[in-house]
Amino acid sequence: MSDRYRQQVVDHLVRPRNAGEIGDPSGRGESGDAACGDVVRFTVGISGNVLEQVRYKVYGCAACIAAGSALAELAEGKHLLDAASVSKADLEDALGGPLPAGKEHALTLVLDALHKAFEDHWNRTAGEMLFHAKSGRAIGGRSVVAAMSGGVDSAVTALLLKDAGYDVATVTFRLHDGERGSRSCCSPDTVLFARDTAHRMGLPHFTLNLKELFNRRVMQDFVGSYSEGRTPNPCVACNAHVKFHASSFLADELGFRHVATGHYARVEEGPALARPVDESKDQTYVLWPVPRDLLSRTIFPLGEYRKTEVRAIAEERGLAVAYTPESQDICFIPDGDYRKFVRKNVAAEPGDVVDRQGQVLGRHAGVVDFTVGQRRGIGVSAPTPLYVNEVRPRSGQVVVGRKQDLEVREVRVGNLNWFLDPEEAACVQVRYNGSPVPCTLEETDDGGWVASLDEPVIGVAPGQSAVFYTGDGERVVGGGVVARSGS
Amino acid sequence: MTDAVYLDNAATTPLDPRVLESMLGHLGARRGNPSSLHAFGGSAREGLEEARAGVASLIGASPGEIVFTSGGTESDVLAVLGLARSAGSEKRHAVVSCVEHAAVREAAKRLQSEGFEVSWIGVDEEGLLDPAEFAESVRPDTALAAVVWASNEVGTVEPVLELAEICAAKDVPFHADAVQAAGRVPIDVSEAPVSTLALSGHKLYGPQGIGALYVREGVSLEPIVYGGGQENGLRSGTENVAGIVGLGTAARLAREEMDDRVTHERELRDRIVAGVEEIPHVLVNGHRGRRLSNNVHLTVSGVEAESLVLFLDSLGYAVGSGSACSSGGHKASPVLLAMGLSEREAFSVVRITVGKDNTVEEVDDFLEAFSTAVAQLRELSPLYAG
Repeated sequence: MSDRYRQQVVDHLVRPRNAGEIGDPSGRGESGDAACGDVVRFTVGISGNVLEQVRYKVYGCAACIAAGSALAELAEGKHLLDAASVSKADLEDALGGPLPAGKEHALTLVLDALHKAFEDHWNRTAGEMLFHAKSGRAIGGRSVVAAMSGGVDSAVTALLLKDAGYDVATVTFRLHDGERGSRSCCSPDTVLFARDTAHRMGLPHFTLNLKELFNRRVMQDFVGSYSEGRTPNPCVACNAHVKFHASSFLADELGFRHVATGHYARVEEGPALARPVDESKDQTYVLWPVPRDLLSRTIFPLGEYRKTEVRAIAEERGLAVAYTPESQDICFIPDGDYRKFVRKNVAAEPGDVVDRQGQVLGRHAGVVDFTVGQRRGIGVSAPTPLYVNEVRPRSGQVVVGRKQDLEVREVRVGNLNWFLDPEEAACVQVRYNGSPVPCTLEETDDGGWVASLDEPVIGVAPGQSAVFYTGDGERVVGGGVVARSGS
Repeated sequence: MTDAVYLDNAATTPLDPRVLESMLGHLGARRGNPSSLHAFGGSAREGLEEARAGVASLIGASPGEIVFTSGGTESDVLAVLGLARSAGSEKRHAVVSCVEHAAVREAAKRLQSEGFEVSWIGVDEEGLLDPAEFAESVRPDTALAAVVWASNEVGTVEPVLELAEICAAKDVPFHADAVQAAGRVPIDVSEAPVSTLALSGHKLYGPQGIGALYVREGVSLEPIVYGGGQENGLRSGTENVAGIVGLGTAARLAREEMDDRVTHERELRDRIVAGVEEIPHVLVNGHRGRRLSNNVHLTVSGVEAESLVLFLDSLGYAVGSGSACSSGGHKASPVLLAMGLSEREAFSVVRITVGKDNTVEEVDDFLEAFSTAVAQLRELSPLYAG
């Protein structure tokens, strides 16, 4: 196509459909930026998941005006699931073919604005509910809300479910502001990429804004843990309070039975959480806090696949995500420098570095810089390597000792979440990539549990997860947070 | 589009039928190469020299001072690079205004990348240069200064006479881009001490692809095209004879008809200004008095330029936009930013340029269409509150 506009574009420009703004909308979404030269605003009226009214306003080039008009016309009157499936290709069809070179951005922009209006609708509906949702209405048939991060695992998850005959709706969560490659005019690239991927599979895509929830339950907890001398696991916190609750909320709203994520794990009858086929990708360790009622409606399709197979599926089916790199870091700290992140958020007070007898060996700049088992950055020279044994936030002391001083035989665990009878717990895993150690478990008077380990384990830090497995090591009995450890 | 009204004469003008007629004799079987010795060549040479005299007459030059080029852009680039490169190794500085056409601007940037220092002279909010500031920037090591005679965007007519005199007094070559000014502003190089001056055919009802550079006798210029040494060695390559003849005719007509054209254009221009000023939040950019007779440059608050231009196009009116949107980012005009417009304002500008053939009736119809288009796009705009 040349750089001239087609007749359909000019027609939408001169006779825009559904122009205007709803005074009291169910949702309102805006994309673009006056300084970039394009702003699109959608307002929607939604009733019973049907998009009864769609109105739009645009300041922008002819392509933006026409694309917005075409989208408003396509979406109005549709069920949300159908409206959320309208893709860039659908818009091009409505406009008589591809836009002139350099104008494709208009399609992204108008879709983003409409989807933000949907997002606003969900967030208005959710209100406080999103923070507490634990429902499992479990209505509907083979239907599932699949969480999509923009990576290969979650994309293949959605694809496998679709292939298996499920009605699939995809959802991407806005969790924090540090997302990759933000274009100033639109949503971050991760959201746009996930939306594109879903649309290419012919699936509806939604977004939910969970920034407040995520900040409260994950990021603040992360920062607070360090200043209290604990070692947090933000993925555990997210699974405990955010991801599954939000997916479940959307499933309830859409009348869908299941939720799904791209975790490598399996859900068995019970429900019970079991290790996946690909043990090297096992994520059961971070899934222990998912509430039982949410786990019972959860599907983890990737539990049956090896990672290499997942990549092969993505490649074979032409998903662009096939080549995205593995995400390793904490998602809200893209550069991986979590100390810098913590220090940005809390004041650090200097304190003493002491040995196990309480003798002062040196000074440190703040307890937030230390975690149990740490060897680097202690700043005290000694004939044998020193390890952080304990962090005492109240006195500001960092206790250091030898490696063997880190050995523990007893782990106290709180905040427990059980899937199976605690009697079945035969071993405990205290690190993401650790191996389970045989143990015996006893309940304490204060409602916590004590695991007595058959063999010593190095460096068990308060704040980490302790996950109990069955005797064959295959199923998660339950898990909790390490409160304290001892020898 | 036969009924369309053309109001984008700064982009290009219609070809005058009289110009076309004069060209036809050089487009048929009797076409010759001016360098040839035979009769065909002689006839071409005659046409060439007659045209040279015609162009010279428009600006008060001698025919020998006219070099034909492929257009305004080539003339500007030849002047800027050519003056700089023949200035001598101790002169590595250029003075250039912030409101130049892209040809001069980009040529100056090219000089920068070759190690020249460039002083960019700003303008006030009406797009007018300050001669005092200009004078301060001209130094002993200045190789050249370049200023647009009248802005192709906002139509402001710069104080070129004064600027050229400043340079002449300091013995610094001065280039004037008169592509838009020629035929609308009286230009006489015997009064304005410019060293070089750029002209274009298709802004003067002449053909596209032809231009001229006036090079004052005695001014030395390094060519940018090498070859057979045509045009005094300044522009090698077989001449575009038909184009040159067309430009010659267009220049003669422009000189003869200038007063009538300017009077007519002013009437239309002022009618448009009066009409659009009745619409709220429409601002005229550029200088009110020192302004090209055909130019109306507007900021239409709350409306993006491209959508307005295409809307008007669909109603049968052709006007120019001041910005281009591509790949998700608009590029604001550097000229408008230099005048102090914000990026957002710079995305909302349109340029309406009348010509000798437009009529009062066309202008009145246009004003009605313009008002309709602006109202509808503002109705749609989330950035316009009324």
